[in-house]
Formats: sequence, C-alpha cells, structure tokens
Amino acid sequence: MSVVPVAPVDVRGARWRLRLRNARQFARRYASRRDGVVGAAILVFFALLALAPQLFVGALQTVTTATGGPLEPPSGAHLLGTDEIGRDILNLTVHGARVSMVIGLMATLITILLGAVIGIVSGFLGGRSDQVLMRLTDFFLVLPTFVLAIVLAPIILDIVGTDAELFGIRATLLVIIVVIGLTSWASTARIIRSQTLSVKERMFVDRARVIGGSRAHIMRRHILPNVVNLIVANTVLTFAGAIFTETTLSFIGLGDPFAPSWGQLLNAAQQSGAPGLGAWWYIVPPAVCVVVVILAFTLVGNALDDVLNPKSATR
Amino acid sequence: MNARYLARQSAQAIFTILMIVLLNFLLFRMMPGSPDRVNPRNPNVTVEQRDAARARWGLDKPLIPDQLVAFVGSTLQGDLGYSIKFQGQPVTEVIGDRFGPTILLIGLAELIAIILGLALGAYTGWRRGGRADRIGNGLSLILYSMPYFVIGMPLIIIFAAGLGWFPTSGMLTAGASYAGPVEFLTDLVSHLALPLATISLGLIGGYSILMRSSITETRAEDYIATARAKGLTDGRILRSHAFPNALLPAVTLIAINLGYVVGGAITAEIVFNWPGLGTLTVDALDSRDYPVLQGIFLLLGVSVVLANFVADIVYGYLDPRVRQ
Amino acid sequence: MRPSAVHRAIRLGSALALATALLVPASALPARAANPLVLRVGTTQDLDALNPYQTLLVSGYEAFQLTYNLLVDFGPNLEPVPGFADSWTRAADGKSWTFHIRTGMKWSDGQPATSADACFSWGLAVAAIKDGANIGAGYLDPSLKDAGVTAVSCPDDQTMIATTTDPSDRVLQVYLPIIPKHVWGKETYKTIGDAKFVAPLVGSGPYTAAEWKTSQFVRFVRNPDYWGTQGAADEVVIQFFKGADTMVQALKAGEIDYARDATPEQLKALESQPNVKTVVGSSNGWSQLAFNEYGASKGTLTPGIGPSTKALWDPAFRDALGYAVDKKTLVDRVLGGYGEVGTTIVPPVLGAWHVEPDHPRTFDVEMAKQKLDAAGYKLDGQGQRLDKEGKPISLRLDYPNTKDTYAKAAQFVKDWYGQLGIKVTAQQYDSATLGNIVLPPEAGKDFKANYDIELWGWSGNPDPNALLQIFRCDAIGSSSDSQYCNPAFDKMYDSQNAAATADARKTILAQMQNLIYDQAVYDILYYDANLAAYRTDHFAGWQNQPLANGTPLFTYGTLQYTLLTDATAVPSPTPVITTAPGASPTPVASAAPSATGGTTAPAGGTGDNTILYVVILVAVLVVAGGILMVVMRRRRATPGDEE
Repeated sequence: MSVVPVAPVDVRGARWRLRLRNARQFARRYASRRDGVVGAAILVFFALLALAPQLFVGALQTVTTATGGPLEPPSGAHLLGTDEIGRDILNLTVHGARVSMVIGLMATLITILLGAVIGIVSGFLGGRSDQVLMRLTDFFLVLPTFVLAIVLAPIILDIVGTDAELFGIRATLLVIIVVIGLTSWASTARIIRSQTLSVKERMFVDRARVIGGSRAHIMRRHILPNVVNLIVANTVLTFAGAIFTETTLSFIGLGDPFAPSWGQLLNAAQQSGAPGLGAWWYIVPPAVCVVVVILAFTLVGNALDDVLNPKSATR
Repeated sequence: MNARYLARQSAQAIFTILMIVLLNFLLFRMMPGSPDRVNPRNPNVTVEQRDAARARWGLDKPLIPDQLVAFVGSTLQGDLGYSIKFQGQPVTEVIGDRFGPTILLIGLAELIAIILGLALGAYTGWRRGGRADRIGNGLSLILYSMPYFVIGMPLIIIFAAGLGWFPTSGMLTAGASYAGPVEFLTDLVSHLALPLATISLGLIGGYSILMRSSITETRAEDYIATARAKGLTDGRILRSHAFPNALLPAVTLIAINLGYVVGGAITAEIVFNWPGLGTLTVDALDSRDYPVLQGIFLLLGVSVVLANFVADIVYGYLDPRVRQ
Repeated sequence: MRPSAVHRAIRLGSALALATALLVPASALPARAANPLVLRVGTTQDLDALNPYQTLLVSGYEAFQLTYNLLVDFGPNLEPVPGFADSWTRAADGKSWTFHIRTGMKWSDGQPATSADACFSWGLAVAAIKDGANIGAGYLDPSLKDAGVTAVSCPDDQTMIATTTDPSDRVLQVYLPIIPKHVWGKETYKTIGDAKFVAPLVGSGPYTAAEWKTSQFVRFVRNPDYWGTQGAADEVVIQFFKGADTMVQALKAGEIDYARDATPEQLKALESQPNVKTVVGSSNGWSQLAFNEYGASKGTLTPGIGPSTKALWDPAFRDALGYAVDKKTLVDRVLGGYGEVGTTIVPPVLGAWHVEPDHPRTFDVEMAKQKLDAAGYKLDGQGQRLDKEGKPISLRLDYPNTKDTYAKAAQFVKDWYGQLGIKVTAQQYDSATLGNIVLPPEAGKDFKANYDIELWGWSGNPDPNALLQIFRCDAIGSSSDSQYCNPAFDKMYDSQNAAATADARKTILAQMQNLIYDQAVYDILYYDANLAAYRTDHFAGWQNQPLANGTPLFTYGTLQYTLLTDATAVPSPTPVITTAPGASPTPVASAAPSATGGTTAPAGGTGDNTILYVVILVAVLVVAGGILMVVMRRRRATPGDEE
C-alpha cells in the first residue's frame, strides 16, 4: 500500500519496479471487484460523453437551432422527445453530461485541494496551527451547506462578475463550483488529518526529520505519498457529492439556463410543468443520468477505498 | 464522564456558535441586492424616500461597528429583527411558524428512516453476500444516489395527480375547518404521506449503508463467535449481540446527521409546497429577506453545533478513550 | 446499558412525534361555520402584505380589493361602476366632483361606513401629495396625483367633494382603497405604510381577509353586510404554490377552482380536461429589451457606470438590432403561441389608446447587418461587430428569475445578436438584485446602472399614463430602465395628460408611441398573455374582465367574485317557487355526488400517463437493481482473492 524507501541500489529502477508491481497488484485487486469495474465502466462511458458530446449527438441545440415542436414525445427523429422549446432531449442530456461532469470535477478539485492541504498541514504541524485549523474546519463542518450555498451564490457572482469565464465556464457555473468547494472541504480535511497523524508517528518520518528534511519537504515527500490513497478514494466520493449538490442547486434555480446541466434540465422540466403533463421523456433521462453517475462514483469510491486501504475494508 | 471533557466540548460549541453569529452578520451584509422595502422599480419613489426607508431599517449606518454591535446585541437577546418581506413580522415568529411543520416532517421521516434503514442495514450486513444483501444493499445505494426531488416528483405524478390517493401539496387543506381532531389528523396525514415517504426513502439508503458496514465489522468480533459457540440461533445473535453493538457508531452518526437534515430537505419541501423552513429559506432568498435568512442560518448552524455536541458527549460517554 | 440506548432513541423519537403533533394543530383550529362553500384560488405569486400601501404584488392587490372598496369600482369592461360611492356628478366648471356615499352602508364589524372614511382615505393621499411624498411603497397615491386631486371635503355623511385640476375623468379611476377611519384614524400618511394590517380585517368589500398563513394561503370570509351582490362562495381562499406544476395538479384534482399563470403547455393540456375551462387574457403590459442609454446626454462614458459601449446611445444601432429579433418566433416558442407580437409602449389591450408603429421593423437579419454597416458598426476579421471606437461590441443582458419566459427569450436574443457578430453575455438575477443593478447613480451613490440590456417586463393600469411615465426624464433614478431622457417626450406627456378631449389625447399618445418605437428606446418583444384555468363543476358564473380579452380573477376590482354561483346547486337560483319547501336541502344533498364526480374524473384523465409512469419507474428500478445484483454477486468471493 505505501511506498516504503528501499535500499539505495539502483534507486530509480527499483522505485519504478516497485511502482509497477504496486500498480499491477492494484489493478488485479480492483479488477476482482465487480462493483468497482461496473462503476468504472459507467464512468468511462459518461466521461466519453462529456469529452466529446458533439460526436454522439452533434452540436448543442440552442433555442434557435431547435429541430422539433414543443414537448414532442419520443419518435424516430427525436429518440427522447423534445423540450418545451423543441430542443432534442437526447442532445441536451448528452451535452448536460459535460456541464455536470465539469462542474463536478472542478468542485472536487477545489474540495480535495483545500481538504488535503489543510488536513496534512494541520495534522503534521500539530500544536497551535492544528488547533486553529481544526476550529476552522469544525466551523465549516457545522455550516448548513445548503443554506450557505444559496447565500454564497449571489455574493460570489457579485465578486467575479457576470462576464467572467474560466476554461469556457460561465460565471454562474463558477459560482456553483466555488460554493460546492467551499462547503465540502472540511470533512476531507478531517479524514486526511487523522491519517496524517498516524503516518507522522512512523519510523521513516522520524528518520527524515533526523536527516534534517524541511517540514515542507517531509510533508511533500513522506506524508503526501502515504495519504494519497485516502485522497484518491475520497476524491471519487466527493465527486459523487459534488454532482448531487450541483443537481440540487440547479434544481432550485441557481443554475444557468445557457449551459444545461442535468439539474438545470430537471429544473426546466419542472418549470414547464412537464411532470404534470406526462412528459416523462423530459424528466427521466436527466434524472436517470444523475442517479446512475452518482451511483457509479459511489461504487468506484467504495471499491477504491477497500482496495487502497485494506484496513478500512470491512470484512 | 469527566468535567474537563465536558467543559472543553462546551467551550468549543460556544466558540463555534459565536463564529456563526459573526459570519451571519458579514455574509448577509455582503449579499448584493438592497433589502429596502421600497421597490426600486417604483415609478413614484424618490431618492429621499429610499434613503428614509434605509434609515428606518438601520441600513444607513456604517457596517462596523454600529450595525455589528446592534446585531450581536440583539441576537444575544434572542431578538432576530423583523422580516422585510412579511410586513415587519418578527423573524422569530416567521421562523417559529415554519419550525413546527419542518420538525414534524423531518422528525417523522428520520424516525422511519432510522428504524427501516438500521433494520435493512443490519439484515443485509448480517447476510452479507446473500441475495437479500445484494437486493437490499443495491436498493440502499440507489436511494442514496437520488436527490429528494427525483424521488418526490414521480411520487406526486403517480400517487397524487394520477391515482388521486393523496393531495398534491401543502400541509393542510388551505383554509379548511375541522369538525374535530380526527378530521384534522386525517387531513394532516394525507398531506404528510408523500413528502414523508420522499424524505424517508432518501434517508434510508445512507442509514442502511452505515449500519451494514457496522454490522459486518461486528460480525467478526470474538463475542459473536462465543455466542455462536454457545449454540444461540443466528437470529438471536443478531438481535441480542451484534445489533446493539453495531448500533453505537450508528447512533453517534445519526446524532450528527440530525443537525444537517433540516437544511437538506429543502428540495423535498419545495416539491410538495410544504410550509416549512426549506420553503421559507427559498422564499426569503427570493425576496432578499435578510433578517429571516439570518435567522434560519443561525438556527441551522446552532442545531448542527448542538447535534455535534450531543454526539461528542454520547461518544465520550460510551468510549472512554476519547475523553482524554 | 447497551439495549437501553435503543430504548432511549425510541423514546426520544416518540416524544418528538408527540411534541410536534401537539405543536401543529394549536394554530390551525379556528372555530367556524360548518361546511362553508369555499372558492379556492391558486396562484404561484406569494402574498407580501395585507397592507394595501405596502404590497407590491398582484396577489396583494387582490387581497385588499376584496376587503376594501374603491370609491368608484371597475365594471365588466373597466368602466366606472358604483363602489364605496353609489353615484357621482361633475361640477359644471369641471373643477370638482361630488360623490354620494351609499346610505346605510356598514363595515364588516357593524360600524356605519360614511363619507368620513372616504375623506380619511383620500385625505391621506392628498396630504402625501402636498408634501411631495408617497404613502408606503408609493404605488397607490399616484393615481390620485394623476387625477389632479388637490383637496377633499365631506360636508355631510353622504357627500364627498374632490377638487381637481385635471380636465379628464381620471378621478373615476383612482385606485385607492377606502379604509375604515374608526380602525385606522390615528394613522397619518407617514405611518399608514408601516401599519400592521393583521387579519382579520374590517372592510366594506364582498369578502374580508380573515386569516393569513404566510406563503400558504390567505382566507377571506363573506362580508354579510356587503352592499352589492353576494357571491355564492361563503369563503375565498387564495392559495400560494411554489410552482405552476403543483398548482395545475391541484386544479385537476379539484383541490382548487382557479389557477392563475399556468404555462402554455399546461394550458393546452387543460383544454381537454373535463370540467375545466381555460382563458387566455391579454396582459396590460409587455416584456421588453431595455437598452441602457445612461450618460448619453453627457456624451462621456464612465468605466463601471452605465453601458459598456456608446453604440447603445445611438438610435440607429438600436434600430438595426430590432431587425434581428423574430418576434413571431418568440410568441410561438416562448409563449407557446399565447400573447401578441410587441410593438409600441401602449399595449393593445388598452384598445382606444394603442397604435401600431408607422415605420415597423420586420425580422430580417440581413437588413440588420446592412443597417449596422451603414451606421458605422463594421465587422472585424474575426466576425466581431466593432463599435465606433474600434472595440468589439459585447453586451451584457440581464434578466430576472421571476418567469422562465425571460430566460427563454434571453437565449433567443443571444443567438440572434450573435448572428450580427455581437456577443451577448446573459445573466439571471433575482428581481431585487436586478432592480438595483439597473438603478443609476441618480438613485444614490451605491448605484451604477452597470448593464447594457435589461430584459424584463412592465404591466400598467387602465390608464396608459403608468406605462408612459417610465420614459420620462424624471424616471431616471427610479423606474427608468433605459435611462432615456428626451424633453420632447416629457412635453408630450404633459400635454396628453392635460388634453381636453379623448381624441386630442389619442393623437398625442400616437406620436409618443411612435417616438419611442422609432428611437428604439425599448425593443418590446411581446405583449404577454395571462393564462388562467378554472373548474366549472364547483362554481358557475365565471366572467372575464374585460369581457373580450380579460380573465375572471386578478383583474381590476372584484366584481367577478360576486357573480359566481354554486354550480352544484341543481335548481336555478331564482325560480324556486315551483318546487316544494323540501327543495332547499336538495342542493346540499346533490352537492356531494357531483363533487366526488369532479375529483374522480381527472384521475381517469391522467390514468394512462400514470400507468406509463409506473411502468417506467418499475423498469428503471429493475434495470438498476439488475446492474447492482450483478455487481454484488462476486463480492463474497472477493476476500478470498485478497488473502
């Protein structure tokens, strides 16, 4: 599981061999987890959709390029029917994969980055810094995520401005990303910190300290590699949470109608009265996608957690 | 239980609550959109009138210290100010009106979800790998992946709009009068059924997954083997040995969870138009009703702190190692 | 100790349930008459206040109109009909009006309703106008100002005399509720706006507000002393919904009798619903693109304040943009075909005053491009349209989240302007925030009018003045969302207001409409439609206001409420003589079966869908369950592999 320093004979080669062996071992063990494999397969599928939606369904249909009539049920021309403006639901759902996944990804990156840095620093430094950082973490842990998200959204929009764009992501979506990141890093930090605390006590860390490695060096070269497993598993689960939160925030109207995520589609469906009109084709595709993707992330996350951290595996 | 542990936990809780009060003040002052009662689009209102309105609401004074001091002072006295949207009703009243329905809905949903979720988790964990586990755990994972509104919308379509078994929304028939408590309860229960089912279903997954892993851990413990050696039946071992022991970590987590759940059920309340804190939050946000939003924020924050506090105490009580 | 933890948890749970069960009913059991006939009205707009001077919303107007009379009410076609006053005459010199207050009229608490109440209510507004101030939110008193009323006096209990400088009969359209002096007499115009109007209220209208549960419902009870026709409903409950979908479901299920603001798709679906009738009313208003002209008169552009480009100051530029917007498509796709293509600033619903533009713009993207080129806005190498300073034009389009039609229209506009090489960044805001974004520094130092185009809407009064005011210079800093200022327009406004005859006024109004249209201050996208639906199996006698193109409820005055009859009462209301004395219980008996018939019918109507849904739900669960079963199957074997 951990990268333990080996004898200094052909260090580089040995390290590579070790890594290779670890990777193979990991792959074998992961492959034996059917839930993890199915989850990963689902995620690969959605990742493909997100990377190149236009290959599957063509360019994103806008209100002016809509090809159908309002709320048409599924037909040969529109496999999943149309929305109230006449856009193809299949097209929107596939493109929604990109928006939802990108938001999820970026929010997860923020969460993990904040969580890992604060967790490692807090756990490693200990003392006063740990006290302060953990109070801060406790505080963020306590904040009602959802209310905070709703309240933060307009504030962040105010700060970044409406025409701000990052990697082609509009300000409104940035808001959602930042909000999710800010409200969910605390639990990651807690988990990473406790792992750091136990890693810190190990021999090799002491050894590194004795040799005179700087604190930053020790954290980077010794602590981080030993908590990285935990970070990976946590990342995947955080991703599931981020998509969940994104869907919910968009559903209550904090999304961006110009960049349809699944949550935004569900919001539009609700707004247009699709549920009561029996327009199931408007609701079922995005809803199923959301549930399947969250499920897949959860499966992969659990599998990774078990494979990477055998001790936490429950058996 | 030692006093120092208690004191430390209390100090932390109080500190966090103070931080919440502070953030509460800053965050809501940072929100764009002036909470003036005077509509900016009103053709007839002059600048002077808008300024006068701001002055009346204390918004013309500097943020720090005037507004902050006034805010902290009154918050500590339990005075949360007046709602902007609803004709200056006290925030405590506005929130108080919505507190009951939310607690009723969430409380019952938690109760059902805890009972069913723990039972399901215990059963699937005990039968780990069996068919019951596969179905039960699969179901839990699916439910766990579903946002409340994804559960709620189909329920409305099928059971309210379609079959007409339940009303579509609300808590009571609007403006209804009741001949007696029986009629009242019937009305309440019929309105309660669907949102209750929605939130319960949404919560069951999490509890079941939690309990399942807890019970599988317990299954490997020595005393279970001992019990088996004594010749107890499988069901008996589960009920009297494994379940109570596996429950402990679950109880702690449930305590913490209770603090969050009020804020989490917002979409369920919206879908069913339930007159609780969730719908109030969204309403208040739409109308930039700062005082009400602050009140909700404070309430939810404090309830999480208290839930954590209780969980810590319970945990410390049960597991002496934590206390030092 | 361990099992006791379980017990404790359970006991805690039951204690919780008990506590909440006790908590709720306490607030919900008012003693009332058994089985009142209740008219239930659904709307997606919440009520903000019962105080007439404070409310900003249509639901608030509906609430105070039911409770309080106007001095002169609005008839089926918005003509003046008796309200608190039963007759009125104009003095020969035209400078004063004498209103006769009905004799023997009573407030709902039994106190006599006299001219003192009328003088008090109008007097508040007169005092405010004299001080150059407003009452409360400032929406009601301007109607009195417009009518030129400078003084009111009440020589006796039945007479009120209003002195006016206005030559027209606008005094008959004053939208001020007459509130009881014996309840509110201590208030002044400065305090009444903040006064707590807490239900139950004392009123003289057909129904008085009896109970208000914020964001849930407001309940009105019949005013037994009401002077006019008594409606069949004993109570009126206006119920607030979070979304149109739940509201329409409730209408279909018979839980409500009237649904205001359904979506176009819902309305189409409701047309085939048994016992439900749909109405498409013309809205007295529009949705528009307002171009920000802030700073145009000064001629300098301040960064961070006002529009991002001077191009927006140029009527030729705005005019060209108008050719790129296909309004017919907007009406079809955004409004689902309900509503009308937008042109001038007086909506067609105000029939007599509306004119179509003399130089209409048609949808023609090529024409738009040519006009932009001709006006000096050229394309650069990358296909971006440049302003005269050589900067690519990139416009910020801001719209509110109050209706999803705004978001849809914004998407169309973005695409269409995009075809001209003009980038549009659209952003949605809540209405309070958007209102503040639009305000210029004239409204206070915090305001910056930092936007380029605002997509929003207005709705007006029976008199066009309300909608014309928005374009006056003095509206900058309050209602102006174009920051347009043209003294010529202001002059025309004053002269139409003082016009002696309707024809003279109409001529000026036509010029004003054409001026705003030609200068493309606004691009009026469409005149919205009010989509409503009501059940006919519970109440009959629904009547639109105006008769031709209005809706039954949420109109001017509350006449339509009083016209409703009990649809379940089988015998016609008047010729009862033919039947035996036993006839009166019959309607009650017959009410039950037909009411249940009403609720079962919709269930059958959506039955097909329901089966579909159940099938889909089951299918989804089966598929997902299947995946999981496969997934889980090998889990048991896993530990072996690892060890």
